[in-house]
Amino acid sequence: MAEAVIGESRHAPGGGRMSVGQIERELGRLRTNDDGTLALRSSVLNLIVVTDEESAPEIADSVSKLAGRHPARALVFISDPEGESNVDIGLSAFCHARGGGGSQVCAEQVTIHAEGPPAMHLESLAGPLLIPDLPVYLWYPGEFSPSSPGFAAMADLADRIIVDSAASESHEACLREIAALVEDPEMPAIGDLQWVGLSPWRSLLADTFGAPERAGDLEKIGRSEVLYAPGGENRALLLVGWLASTLGWKPVSASRDGEGQKKIEFSGTSGDISVVLSPDSPDARLRRIRLYSEEYSFQVSRHRELSDVRTTVMRGDELLAERTVHLGAFDLGVLVGEELHYRGRDETYEGSLRAAVEILDL
Amino acid sequence: MADTQVLQNILRDEQRLPRVPEPGVMVIFGASGDLTARKLVPALYDLAAQRRLPLEFAVVGISRTQMSHEEYRGKLRKALEEHRSGEVSGDVWESFAGGIFYLPGDSKKAETYEGLQELLKRLDRERGTQGNRAFYLASSPSLFPAIVENLGEAGLNEGDDGGWSRLVVEKPFGRDLGSARELNAELQRYFDETQIYRIDHYLGKETVQNILALRFANGIFEPVWNQHYVDHVQITVAEDLGVGTRGAFYEEAGALRDIVQNHVMQVLCLTAMEPPVAFDAESVREEKVKVLKAVRPIPEDEVEDYAVRGQYERGWVWGEEVPGYHEEENVDTESVTETYVALKVFVDNWRWARVPFYIRAGKRLPKKATEVAIQFHASPHTPFARDDTEGLAPNVLVVRVQPQEGLSLKIGAKVPGTGFEVSSVNMDLLYGTAFLEEAPDAYQRLLLDLMLGDPTLFIRADEAEGSWKILDTVMRHWAQKREVSFYQAGTWGPEEAEDLLERDGREWRRP
Repeated sequence: MAEAVIGESRHAPGGGRMSVGQIERELGRLRTNDDGTLALRSSVLNLIVVTDEESAPEIADSVSKLAGRHPARALVFISDPEGESNVDIGLSAFCHARGGGGSQVCAEQVTIHAEGPPAMHLESLAGPLLIPDLPVYLWYPGEFSPSSPGFAAMADLADRIIVDSAASESHEACLREIAALVEDPEMPAIGDLQWVGLSPWRSLLADTFGAPERAGDLEKIGRSEVLYAPGGENRALLLVGWLASTLGWKPVSASRDGEGQKKIEFSGTSGDISVVLSPDSPDARLRRIRLYSEEYSFQVSRHRELSDVRTTVMRGDELLAERTVHLGAFDLGVLVGEELHYRGRDETYEGSLRAAVEILDL
Repeated sequence: MADTQVLQNILRDEQRLPRVPEPGVMVIFGASGDLTARKLVPALYDLAAQRRLPLEFAVVGISRTQMSHEEYRGKLRKALEEHRSGEVSGDVWESFAGGIFYLPGDSKKAETYEGLQELLKRLDRERGTQGNRAFYLASSPSLFPAIVENLGEAGLNEGDDGGWSRLVVEKPFGRDLGSARELNAELQRYFDETQIYRIDHYLGKETVQNILALRFANGIFEPVWNQHYVDHVQITVAEDLGVGTRGAFYEEAGALRDIVQNHVMQVLCLTAMEPPVAFDAESVREEKVKVLKAVRPIPEDEVEDYAVRGQYERGWVWGEEVPGYHEEENVDTESVTETYVALKVFVDNWRWARVPFYIRAGKRLPKKATEVAIQFHASPHTPFARDDTEGLAPNVLVVRVQPQEGLSLKIGAKVPGTGFEVSSVNMDLLYGTAFLEEAPDAYQRLLLDLMLGDPTLFIRADEAEGSWKILDTVMRHWAQKREVSFYQAGTWGPEEAEDLLERDGREWRRP
């Protein structure tokens, strides 16, 4: 077992507008321990976050937690283009020692309030503060506007952009915007936190076809049901998009009933497939997915303990296989942390996203 | 079959989803033993909880104790709580435990295997384990030949209905070259070498694997990793603990068999090997075997010049007075079993010609430390005045395996001031500060590799024999001479070990 990581937040006094040189000097000072020794700086990446005043405390908290797993220089922009022209900079460091002893190691955070015109040119503030030779991740935790000039300039700095397609009120529009970004050759790789949250579901669903005698049933799926919570629409759509793009289902038609249930018809290599997406209780973004072939039903569903998930394979009423495992923690920091593992394009995600947008286009 | 295989891969065919093994059963011989309770079951539980095992997975424990499946599950649950930190989720455990079965029986008797065959067929039917079996020999090594023979005679050396059958063997792989060859012959009589997984948990450690990453993922080290630049190499595996309750075992083994033949030889191989063409089982193991073959045999009449045997006496470790080896439980008061070994070996190949590898491993040393130190030649000429370079030592690159895993490079730097005084400073990188994620337990990694059928981090027969061969003359000489040098607990070994390096004009590092 790894030793415990004991952390300490250090903040620089003052703030206001500072030069790049002043910021670097102050960050160096923050790493000075009480006994005069200098803590190490450890960085494996640059993380730029663009958020607003309201979300800032939660985001700052997630970023400081991320420092434990992905030591980074984090630049957190709190941006308000509507205000009067102003830039205010705060500096902090999250320092930790393993097991309470040994060398202190610090990850740095620069928080920049940009109001008025400077908020339209965040790239001019971010660029000079990036640590050279390390990858740059650009994270928009909330709504983002890809058509704004500021977005393109920030994207230019980044190796990967992390967005959350559930953060926008119009989840359909958001998914389409991300799909457009993915097709733009000028854009770096894109990651969506809703897709990251699907990983264990996809893995568990794949497990149900692990037995060779059932693998052939992937071609014989005729029906599927997905239960999701409000806010989980895009996650559910991406899950269905993944199945469609992987299994070669072509969307044919879609309809919605009065209770918000969406029915999608696909044509597959061995017949038609009908998928029903139904809104469910709000306690879990995804509640359940069930696939039916001629002979079997395959199900992954949240357990009564929401941290666990239960997988079953049935033949009629006969339970063939059953298992309960941890779904894992899925707070914001964990989801972003997962994305920070990847730099390149995720073709499976892109294929699933395209299929999800095709469903929306029906 | 081929079609379904392709279909099976469709949902898994991407990098972001973890690799999950095919359905299968793990059969553990020595099911009520220490290894099963401390390592195997916690590792399997964690793998299951983290969704790394297939849906159709079962564990069968075999030992002589009479127990029901339910009693065995209860025993393992207790062991899990005792030996694994972190909470055990009730529902996850119940789900995992549903796949645990117990078979009481004498592993020397054929009827046990009839019962096993029956149970495995039942599991194939009821739990879909597909005829795939891994047999884990966690029992006493003296039972290995009987178990293997019985498995073979019962036809369990082949998976059922097109499935696979694998055999996992825990160290020690024999007691010497002769018995290792015998054991390998026994194993290979019934199992093909590709089915045999000899486990040395050291290779499952992230930090040991990091030696390969350091060497072969970085362009700057490999060009200097040879006799042109390296003066000598020191490999240290130090423990601060004594033999504790393992006195009886240790009396039979000693440090050479317990640590050097396996762990240290593996570290030597990883340090000295040529770059493998690929990180796959055959490429990596082929290169390791070449190192073992290149190690110069120690002539029996020169063992004293190359090997030191030590035993700890009463002393002080970390502020506590500790007993000498002779005072330990189940240890003969006249015992000459070594608790410390120092060796000088040469790897006679183009890369390492004339570069000594100094190896030391021991118990009751001042601290726990495992490291490989590459000491480079001193700079051929220094333009600075002799007085100014007094604090300057040759460059040393230290790969620390534990604790504080990381790298340290000793370099010369100018001391601030108006003169040109140059002194050595250490540049440290702690892996833990760059990657804080919890590394998986070594057994978790190896059990998963076993189920996935990847033997890269397991020992091949010729590797096991090769490392015994290097030590064979030393063991024979020590067995005849029956003498041991003493060192006080809490010191870095006997004086003779210091002499071993001093004769070459060198000295041991302080880890």
